Amino acid sequence: MTTSDPPPPPTSAPQSSPEGEPEGSEPRTSRRTLTLAVVVGSCAIAAATAIPAAAFVAAPIGSKGAAGRWVRTLRLDQLVEGEPKRVAIVDDRRDAWTIERGVELGSVWLVKHGEKVTAFSSVCPHLGCSVNVARGAGAGFACPCHTSAFEPDGKRKSGPAPRDLDSLATRIEEGFVAVDFRRFRIGIAEKVEA
Amino acid sequence: MSILSRLGDFIDERTGHRKLLAHALEEPIRGGARWAYVFGSALLGSFLVQAVTGVALMTSYAPSDKTAWASVHYITFTQSGGWLLRGLHHFGAQAMVIVLAGHLLQVALFGAYKKPREVNWWLGLGLLGLVLGFALTGYLLPWDQKGYWATRVATNIAGTVPIVGDATQKLMQGGAEYGSLTLTRFYALHVAVLPALLVLLMTAHVALFRKHGVTPSARADLTRVELFFPKQLLKDVVAVLAVVAVVFVMAVREHGAPLDAPADPSSDYPARPEWYFLALFQLLKYFHGPLEIVGTVVLPVVLGAYLFALPLLDKKPGTALRPRLGPLVPLALIAAGAAGLTLQAQHQDANDAGFQKERVKADERASVANRIALDGVPPDGPLAMMKRHPDLRGPELFEKHCASCHMLGVYGVDKDRTAPVLDGWGTEKWVLDMLHEPDGDTRFGRSIYKGEMPSVDTPLPGAPPTWKPMSTDDKNAVAAFLASLGDKPGQPLPANAVLRRDPAKVALGKDIVATRCTTCHLFEGKGDDSDQGLAPELGGWGSVAWIRAQIANPATKATYREHALDADRKGHMPRFDAELRPDDLDLLATWLHTATRRP
Repeated sequence: MTTSDPPPPPTSAPQSSPEGEPEGSEPRTSRRTLTLAVVVGSCAIAAATAIPAAAFVAAPIGSKGAAGRWVRTLRLDQLVEGEPKRVAIVDDRRDAWTIERGVELGSVWLVKHGEKVTAFSSVCPHLGCSVNVARGAGAGFACPCHTSAFEPDGKRKSGPAPRDLDSLATRIEEGFVAVDFRRFRIGIAEKVEA
Repeated sequence: MSILSRLGDFIDERTGHRKLLAHALEEPIRGGARWAYVFGSALLGSFLVQAVTGVALMTSYAPSDKTAWASVHYITFTQSGGWLLRGLHHFGAQAMVIVLAGHLLQVALFGAYKKPREVNWWLGLGLLGLVLGFALTGYLLPWDQKGYWATRVATNIAGTVPIVGDATQKLMQGGAEYGSLTLTRFYALHVAVLPALLVLLMTAHVALFRKHGVTPSARADLTRVELFFPKQLLKDVVAVLAVVAVVFVMAVREHGAPLDAPADPSSDYPARPEWYFLALFQLLKYFHGPLEIVGTVVLPVVLGAYLFALPLLDKKPGTALRPRLGPLVPLALIAAGAAGLTLQAQHQDANDAGFQKERVKADERASVANRIALDGVPPDGPLAMMKRHPDLRGPELFEKHCASCHMLGVYGVDKDRTAPVLDGWGTEKWVLDMLHEPDGDTRFGRSIYKGEMPSVDTPLPGAPPTWKPMSTDDKNAVAAFLASLGDKPGQPLPANAVLRRDPAKVALGKDIVATRCTTCHLFEGKGDDSDQGLAPELGGWGSVAWIRAQIANPATKATYREHALDADRKGHMPRFDAELRPDDLDLLATWLHTATRRP
């Protein structure tokens, strides 16, 4: 921008200065007003596109995870007393524009104690890797990523995990073990649903 | 006047390109051209490689959870030259990270971040962040196990940031869970947002560099001034060429870039990031419980803050290294720490038998997935493809439903076994062993059928004097015939088929089975014992249909008889038609047929 622009002709000044400034400062004020108009106009253009775009992109922030759902897994008599078994959670999955029937949503660990079954989410509460059984009988669970280890009852044993394995509610339906499948937030000490 | 120079004049008159070119090439370099200055150009060169290969890859890539893996598989294994292009992009990305580290260290050592170049140092840090962003987003795009699990860890790390973590994570993932929107978002970042920002910052970076010029080393002879062209430009071209050559050689040597099995959220996978993130990965192991955030957020932020503050910490004039050692000590510690942590991570994995075993399992799955996808991936995606392929679904089902009683190959545990070992079941050798010693430990020895079938060549105690052992010829004939029942018509015989290559043996065997075995067994629905016995149907024995019938319900007379599931036969094989879907039964039977008879 140059500073040697001639001042606007006096006849046009009153039109471009609707505020009606004093006579002497008309050109300067009109210039300030014009700048302001340019800035406001540009901002309006930017906002008209950026705000809808940003709102669109940010839409998932408010989304909630799928609610808990009871999913039948296998028969109670297929579990061996005290021996953890990984079972897939098979149910319908809604993913954005897709609906899929009977797909594997994830997996849980089941441990039978008499007629009761405890279930643990296989998602490591540290950073979300898939937890495995530790090597050796009764050794509990271990995460293959960052060395978190858990007791057979899901209690945190060692490693970086901030909390115990997330337990899930179970019930027996007509001889089948049903699990209340949920997901929890990762990497925090509290068990909060995602 | 030559036609070329006249053309040049014509264009110059209209565009002024000569002045622009001269401005670009005649940049004075105080202290003269140096190899130390090649890093920036090498980065620009490798970025161009990424841009060209990346745009080319875009023409075949389809970002959705059903198509991403399949399209990358197509690029890698089917489209001609695709493997090379992907290899260049894969190794080019790693080259960029390495050259970037070199650039940062060179700038730091030469003191090129000092007044008045602070802003350019910050622009450089922004570019560093963008390159790491490219690496992170690009890793997910093939939607294979490796990228999927490593990126899940990364987005979960974002989720551990206090207050804004949850929102950030959902923003990145496009929701609370991984899905199609995660992929489209990462794709948009990788091919549009990050490139646009990179070009913007890079333009500013180069413009500011031109404004301030190079920062010569403190010992340089400043009276010597060379122009950018030709000496420095030649050095730069050599450097870019070297980078491209290394990338090319790596891509050819490794035959492109690896592709793991399709992302499977219900699987277990030993996730590891790319090697240049291993230091950060290793760091996560050291901060336990409530301190977790130190490894995930605090230390990386402190590191970034230090790099940002470096020009403010080091304000004394002069670029000699010695007086600047103080502010540079943390940088040396960071570099040494990163190297140490990377080595430590690799060392731990190399010595972790459990990890190695998981890795082998994952690699096997990847190679089978890559093999079967050569026939094309169905529209419902690679996971559905794998669930429908006997070679992948079969072992999965066997491990889940059969391996608690049976054993086959690596599946099942011998000490818990209560049913026959299935390796070799259906072969001639297996029939011969069965005829000789039905109660052998790997056969009926541990099952409830122990003692039900007599040996044909060893008399039971108290056998009548008229008892005669079956002749070797007859046994061979029976083995030839029974093993032939499992052969698929029109298919070549397996290598372990010996006896049944002789049609006379097979015919004799059929005769013996139909007359002598039917004392106890059924053969094609007929038997002498008026359905009182337990011995199974031998017609079609060992075929896919027989196996399928036996798994679905072993008490239909197609295999064993109605009594097989009686309460007093507790411990007999249960029926699975309630818990296995028909297509799973087909897949399991098909796989078992090949897996048991494998030589």
